[in-house]
Amino acid sequence: MAHRRKSIGIQRIAAYATIAAALVVTLFPVYWIAANSFKYDIDIFSIPPQWIPANPTSKHYHAAFVERPFLIYALNSLIIAVSTTLVSVVFGSLAGYALARFQYPGRWRYQISFWILSTRMMPPIVTIIPLYIAFNHLGMLNTKPAVIIAYTAFNLPFATWMMKSYFQDLPVELEEAAMVDGDTRWGAFLHVALPLARPGLAATAIFCLIISWNEFLLALILTLTERSQTLPIGIAGRVTQYNTYWGEISAAGFTACIPIMIFAFVVQKHLVRGISFGAVKG
Amino acid sequence: MASVVFQDVVKMFGTFTAVSDLNLEVRDKEFLVLLGPSGCGKTTTMRMVAGLEEVTAGEIFIGSDRVNDVLPKYRDVAMVFQSYALYPHLSVADNIGYPLKIRKVPQDKQRQMVMEVARRVELDGLLDRLPKQLSGGQRQRVALARAIIRTPKVFLMDEPLSNLDAKLRVQMRAELKHLQHELQVTTIYVTHDQIEAMTLAHRVAVMNKGVIEQLGTPKEIYNDPRTLFVAGFIGSPPMNLIDGEVKDGVFTSLGGVRADGLGSANVASAVLGVRPEDIHVLPAGSETANIVAPIYSVELTGESTLVTLRAGAALLTVRADKNFVGDFDQMVEVGFAPGRVFLFDRQSQDRVDF
Repeated sequence: MAHRRKSIGIQRIAAYATIAAALVVTLFPVYWIAANSFKYDIDIFSIPPQWIPANPTSKHYHAAFVERPFLIYALNSLIIAVSTTLVSVVFGSLAGYALARFQYPGRWRYQISFWILSTRMMPPIVTIIPLYIAFNHLGMLNTKPAVIIAYTAFNLPFATWMMKSYFQDLPVELEEAAMVDGDTRWGAFLHVALPLARPGLAATAIFCLIISWNEFLLALILTLTERSQTLPIGIAGRVTQYNTYWGEISAAGFTACIPIMIFAFVVQKHLVRGISFGAVKG
Repeated sequence: MASVVFQDVVKMFGTFTAVSDLNLEVRDKEFLVLLGPSGCGKTTTMRMVAGLEEVTAGEIFIGSDRVNDVLPKYRDVAMVFQSYALYPHLSVADNIGYPLKIRKVPQDKQRQMVMEVARRVELDGLLDRLPKQLSGGQRQRVALARAIIRTPKVFLMDEPLSNLDAKLRVQMRAELKHLQHELQVTTIYVTHDQIEAMTLAHRVAVMNKGVIEQLGTPKEIYNDPRTLFVAGFIGSPPMNLIDGEVKDGVFTSLGGVRADGLGSANVASAVLGVRPEDIHVLPAGSETANIVAPIYSVELTGESTLVTLRAGAALLTVRADKNFVGDFDQMVEVGFAPGRVFLFDRQSQDRVDF
């Protein structure tokens, strides 16, 4: 008896130690950026490291958001990320539903699904030169729509697949019941399938938002000025030929984390599965 | 209110024929039960009426309208699903009122009709609950209420009682029968439970492997089975089916069963069918015994005693008096009730009349 209790205690300690280690690895960089953003330049490099800012200052925030156009970069990021997410979730739901529910001859359901996913199999960098040339011809370089289109092209396949699997998990009788009750297929999708797929919509939206918010490579090539440049590009721009402005980078970087954290926090409760529990069976 | 007519209806899934050449008329206001084992095509048949499956060939009429290519919403049918298919994100009231909401019935009229139907199925105290907060029987009632809130041309019920426990099932069965009588709506009811079929139906269509084996009133199906399948499927405990041969009107089996009076029939591979209640225990030394066999088991069910005899390789069930006393391996003489014996041809599976 005593032996068993002791082994459970050890297991628990091991579990908490592992969790603690994981938390340190993931959270410390965030903390370090936050701490550095409030330090004077001299304190950022002090040895031994200054764990807590000794003389907190907001000068880097002033430099980034008042003297430099980081507010505009942030606005660009917001417009691009939100538009991409909206388009991806809307079309991803429609395509995912079609793949989950409609009849296809032979193996076409699989073929189409696979083809959609296959567009994500090459590294994005492969497409950069063709994209650059295409947008150049269209006169769309250094515009937000160009970035939105490029991001949507990369998010839509995943959004489609995620929504497809969510719809496949929903009992099909619910939509059949709605159709017998007087709905069209579209009505059944809108009134029954979509509300029940809310956890899936939330997960897909977070996924698309994070990807577009953080994306660097495509934005670097397709944007040129603050007309369309996003936060990651703006931040990278503070590494200059003569100096690296760590304080400003930290201030902008930490600020960039906050919207995603808030969004993830808000939709977190929708991520919990099991909303369809109770739909079928006694 | 309308009849439902199937004309040469075929349903294929790829190369698999689920329903082949179905011809059936469900009369106006009739309670018709499609009865059969799983995979016999009964649910597919019903789903074709609802418009949830396309018809591969043939025609379906509801009333005078050919509905082959009509969307479910325009067919004016209501369906109760085996799984109930309640909308989990809507309250009981919204679930019941859903068909009205879709048809844009005015709000206050909706509320009034929901209240009315809810009272009828005794759900009036639960209207604000979500489906997951209800018991199985209550969910069943919500599904029923959603079907009867508007008066459709046809009710379709797909094994609506199969997820309930035994006691509740018997109670709901009676309620369903009464409800259908009150509403006078043509009803197609799918089940694999022959007791449900016998108790509920005006007529039963026994299906097997995509075809209707026999269509008739419960009494006809029970007393006059036209095929071996129907004979074996209907009845609890099932009809005794004994393999043997018939020569000049006399049946003999390897297990020692002998029955005469079968006219002048000659069947090489015959099956003799006789229901447990049509076999009687005879006093010892009786000359009219059809078989003398040892007791395999004795089960008292309350209103009678089921006596199983070992007749060679086969087992023979006899429904005896509740006061029957017998021990394992005791020899018992039994006789078949005259005129209550059926003869089938093992090859064609059909009844042989004599």
